[in-house]
Amino acid sequence: MEKPITLILALLFPVAGFGADAVLLAYAGDTNLATSHDGGGPVMLAESGSSGTSATDDDDEDMSFLYDEDEETIDVYDPLEGFNRGMFWFNDKLYFYLMKPIARGMRVVIPEPLLLGMRNFMSNLGSTTRIVNAGLQGKFGDAGNELTRFVVNSTLGIGGLFDTAKYNFGIRKKREDTGQTMGYYGIGPGPYLVLPFLGPSDFRDGIGLFGDYYTSLVPRVFEGRDYWIAKSIEYLDIIALDKDTYEGIKRDALDPYLFVRDAYMQHRRSLIEE
Amino acid sequence: MLQRLLLILAVGFTTTLALPGHAEVSPQAAVESSVEAIIDALKDDALDKETRRQKIRAIISKRFDFRAMSQRTLATNWKKASDEEKEQFVDLFSRLIESSYIGKIEAYTDEKVQYPGETVKGMKAFVKTLITSSSADIPVDYRLYRKDDQWLVYDVIIEGVSLISNYRSSYQEIVKKEGFAGLLARMQDKIKELESQPAEQPA
Repeated sequence: MEKPITLILALLFPVAGFGADAVLLAYAGDTNLATSHDGGGPVMLAESGSSGTSATDDDDEDMSFLYDEDEETIDVYDPLEGFNRGMFWFNDKLYFYLMKPIARGMRVVIPEPLLLGMRNFMSNLGSTTRIVNAGLQGKFGDAGNELTRFVVNSTLGIGGLFDTAKYNFGIRKKREDTGQTMGYYGIGPGPYLVLPFLGPSDFRDGIGLFGDYYTSLVPRVFEGRDYWIAKSIEYLDIIALDKDTYEGIKRDALDPYLFVRDAYMQHRRSLIEE
Repeated sequence: MLQRLLLILAVGFTTTLALPGHAEVSPQAAVESSVEAIIDALKDDALDKETRRQKIRAIISKRFDFRAMSQRTLATNWKKASDEEKEQFVDLFSRLIESSYIGKIEAYTDEKVQYPGETVKGMKAFVKTLITSSSADIPVDYRLYRKDDQWLVYDVIIEGVSLISNYRSSYQEIVKKEGFAGLLARMQDKIKELESQPAEQPA
């Protein structure tokens, strides 16, 4: 499945510590590991009715105006925490003992432009998933952009190896997938779920993976066993291009499991609200 | 005549300087100056690692309001905490954030930062930035509020994930299970761990 791999990453390297890490989280929702995570901005912008003027002089309490209604804590429903922590542990070991060493080797052997080209290529094959889901959410402008990107990158970008649409025409990719479409129509995330290999997810997004799979071109281009090989390479490629995001989380977070979980849920919510 | 002109100029100049930056400095300019200062420090090869970190730390603590961040992170637990606990938390929290933030930016030395825009609403502002490097573009947005004549950061939003909200849910869960003292103890352990190991990770 197309997203899974991405999810892995996500799971594996969710967002992050501070700084630049959230990168990979980004991938979580992103069926097609993208080159650009753009558009991520305005989500949290909603400056809810700033209760701004209530400031008093009391140094302690006058900060209340900084609380925004739009960013209240997300209560994550995690009834399967025991199972999830087990999967998290499994993915963690998989990452450190298998994926990361291979990815490090790839980085030594394969020049970065080629690593980027591979990522672009896979991302381009996922364009159809983004077109369909943007369309299903009534975002016809975005669907048109994705279609344009697909055409431009497949031709001028030599089969998708180059993100010509972004660099030469300024059309950036926007993440859309089936889980987001379901969320758009009011379906809640359900229980949080850590998938083996694939990383953080929830019931809704897990089901969405099937939709992503059927709308993606990856399984059309790579059939049968080749599909899994292609997805594995894509996954390794992303790790190779990543700058130790997951290591950063492991290092900084008091409880990496909670950190990843909450970041995932928040990230998905922000994508759906977009 | 000339003297008088010079005097006027000089007076004018100094008063302008003395005026609180108020309306003049936009929140985006505030973020920009801090970010640029950090990047300069990162690029300054003359600095040794420790000096560079101290320099960056100083820039960050000038722009980030760790007290406001702590308060928002703890939310209701802040009100329940005693004054000493609050002080202790602010201290630990700022060290944690600084060290992870610094660790992150050091990894992205090839980055360029774009400023796609800002929104100002009364005392609060939202500044968008986009960090672009060869392998990824990462939206990093800042929430700021105006304190006296300065714009201070009270939240950072990376890829749609608010740092504060994220810490808040994890910390709340830890407080629920292990109490406030448990949280402080965990933070202390983490800082010890961070400070005992070399800052950089194996490539």
